[in-house]
Amino acid sequence: MTALSRRNFLKSGTAFAGLTVLVSNSPALLATDSELHHGIGPCLRFSSEGLPILCVPTPDMGQGMMTTAAQIIAEELDLELSAVSVEFLPFVGVIDENGVAQDGDLIQGAGGSHSTMTLWPALRKTSAYVRALFIEAAAQQWAVSSNSLFTDDGYVINRKTGAQLSFGELDDAVQTVSLDKQTIELKPIKDFKVVGKDATNVAARDIVTGEPVFASDIEVPGMLHAAIRRCPHLNGKIVSFNKGTIEQLLGVVAVEKIDRYPEEREEFRVLSDGVAVIAKTYWQARKAADALEIEWDGDISKDDSTDLILEKCNALLKNGEFKQVQKRGDVDAAFERADKTIDVTYTHPSWAHTCIEPHNCIADVKTDTAEIWVGHQTMSRPANIAKKFAGIDAAKVTGHFYRMGTGFGRKYVEDFVAEAVILSKRVRAPVKVTWSREDEIEQDYPNHMGAYRVRAAIDDKGDLSGWHIKTALDTGRDWVARDFPANTMDNTLGEVARVPNNISRGAWRGPSHNTGAWVVQSALNEAAYAAGRDPLEFLVALYKQTGTVRAPNWPNMDIDFRRHAAMLEKVASESGYGKKMPSGWGHGIAVHHTFVGTCAHVIELEMVGDNDYRVHKVTSAIDCGLAVNPLGVRAQVESGIMDGLCAAKYGNLVFENGVPVTNNFDSYRKMRIDEAPAVVDVHIMDFGDTDPKGTGEISLPPLIPALTNAIFAASRKRVRTLPISENL
Amino acid sequence: MINLTINGIQRSFEGDEEMPLLWHLREDAGLKGTKFGCGIGQCGACTVHVDGEATRSCSVPMASLNGTAITTIEGLADGDNLHPVQEAWLEEDVPQCGYCQAGQITATAAFLKNTPNPTDDDINEGITNICRCGTYFRIRKAIKRAAENMQNA
Repeated sequence: MTALSRRNFLKSGTAFAGLTVLVSNSPALLATDSELHHGIGPCLRFSSEGLPILCVPTPDMGQGMMTTAAQIIAEELDLELSAVSVEFLPFVGVIDENGVAQDGDLIQGAGGSHSTMTLWPALRKTSAYVRALFIEAAAQQWAVSSNSLFTDDGYVINRKTGAQLSFGELDDAVQTVSLDKQTIELKPIKDFKVVGKDATNVAARDIVTGEPVFASDIEVPGMLHAAIRRCPHLNGKIVSFNKGTIEQLLGVVAVEKIDRYPEEREEFRVLSDGVAVIAKTYWQARKAADALEIEWDGDISKDDSTDLILEKCNALLKNGEFKQVQKRGDVDAAFERADKTIDVTYTHPSWAHTCIEPHNCIADVKTDTAEIWVGHQTMSRPANIAKKFAGIDAAKVTGHFYRMGTGFGRKYVEDFVAEAVILSKRVRAPVKVTWSREDEIEQDYPNHMGAYRVRAAIDDKGDLSGWHIKTALDTGRDWVARDFPANTMDNTLGEVARVPNNISRGAWRGPSHNTGAWVVQSALNEAAYAAGRDPLEFLVALYKQTGTVRAPNWPNMDIDFRRHAAMLEKVASESGYGKKMPSGWGHGIAVHHTFVGTCAHVIELEMVGDNDYRVHKVTSAIDCGLAVNPLGVRAQVESGIMDGLCAAKYGNLVFENGVPVTNNFDSYRKMRIDEAPAVVDVHIMDFGDTDPKGTGEISLPPLIPALTNAIFAASRKRVRTLPISENL
Repeated sequence: MINLTINGIQRSFEGDEEMPLLWHLREDAGLKGTKFGCGIGQCGACTVHVDGEATRSCSVPMASLNGTAITTIEGLADGDNLHPVQEAWLEEDVPQCGYCQAGQITATAAFLKNTPNPTDDDINEGITNICRCGTYFRIRKAIKRAAENMQNA
């Protein structure tokens, strides 16, 4: 639990047992959906001292949901955020007829930049309902009409008499009150006091004082530690290992083989072949695991080298078979009529997630029940993992959830939870699995790699008149070939082909968009130069004439591209885009819509010699709908900027003969403060939206083309292959 | 036997002297604020003070620590009074996920002792911890704010 100011909330000093009708005190799953946990007040409880605790249903991996959700709850409950504590709500979903845990109204997962948007109506409704119950309880107690009462900072107040009762004092009374949920009115936006205002991270004090708020900080009685040596060869196998020798080492309790799951190696890898050493302490487990002598068979993936895969992708672009995924008008005719054309190819390697907190999980599997302690991007999935890997009914699984030391999409999956469950079941004790950094990179589900060929036609007026994009990736993802501008303008063709390999890829912050935006916004920049037009003016004209178009990819939102134009103009004017700069300096501009939000950037940089650069300033505009926490939105934009700068310059998860070899921070380079821009100027757009959209992934995709476009403006060098550090 | 003090408390250690300090702090001393990030001294999530110097505890074996004084993130504040660097981190709202921040803060506290009025170049050279959320923009502001607050104190 994260405590904010310990101000005494209850002026009356009344002690109360807790709103048992409204509150989930049991962290266990419910076997059935129920009124108790479904859409009614699970987001408020009181501590034994009577202090209100806001219960946040969604995981926080640094994207700030704990703070954002607390703001929404506090707003509708008329509580001051500074007067409450905040904690994570246990899983309160349901078990369906197949015994699978499913989310209820309160979606308890974080992905696709969706958390704020999906929680917004449910959290407001549930919190507004609880507030209405307090008013009704007070009305009954005072025998007055509820219309004469209002709430303020945790009190129900009689408008005429000034009499007041704290929410706590209404504890008994509220339990016999019920209201028609359909009649509950949400607070009008004009009355908001918490939503829309800057709120600092509610966990910040715990974080800066070193409180144990991460799953890796948790210990449970009788817990053993596991260190696992997993096969470094993609889809490889164990031939043999020295089990007997390792079992004799100090502190070692068991040495257990873990099998690849699923067994069919063409299926997405959940678990690699591996050997787990279980010992009394982590260090004993780690040392013994390092002493393991394992013979691996990596033959299956010996041809999976980054260089070779990218060569195949590029070869495919030249003369391979492609599948059409977008076709509008007559693209050939457009190119025949064209005044000018460009034909350019972009290539990028894989990126690893490098979650700063290496994956970890504690499981305690008993005969019919299980407990799990974990930081995970979904709160339903761990129960289902216990069911799948240990046969425990999901309803009998108790989950304890903690904030994550980043997630980026990687902590959405099963592996680290499954390992703890499997090992705990085997040794009949609580087992904590802690990954090393090498594990985290070698066993990653990395971003895709591949090559893209873009042909653009420009007519005699200098406008974009044809667009032909072919993607040859090591994934089946086809977003970039289907989406803007292939789906919005006349005379387009989008085609895809795939180079299969043994890598199991996953969701990396802004999946597909993270590199697709680089390709599209780079090619449009090149087209602008080919047309003899300024990229800003070229893009603004293009977006203004596009209007509103439904996105052909998930989540298929209607996108008003005139907002793109407005955002480009905003970052241009705020950054001084186009101003005279010294030789070797440049501005780059780009904009992109990712899932549920849009971001535009201008990057100002200076070339350092011929092969390096320094980013001095990033000016950004984000359209995230209603910004619940502007301070948090800016933090997420800043975060995506750094992540993009780093991935573009250094991101290169190198595979050599099926082995990821850049497996720690000495070889997989991350940016440090010395390369961070000194000035980041974020503008949150107000287009009059009354509901929030998304933020977490939105700023990264357009950052990379803004960067490479700036490098071009400064040096006339066009970066068409990532990472920049190896290709400038 | 290794004798050392951790946050002012005398402790002795008789286990495997190859074990890095990090695991003694986390597992024996129960101090979970110091984090494991990479195990090779690259990321700095495990930064503590050894006799006042910022040190990456994942790469320091217990054998080398006899007679030393260790300060961890838990020992930085004076009771309820936070260290000025911790205060600055709150004022600038630095933490996102928060995992690396104990290391960033301990590194900064040691840095400011030697460089009380740092320039941007000093910060670029002196602070090398990795933040995966990319809070560097706010870290820089917080370092400067802490320096200012400490000089005015």
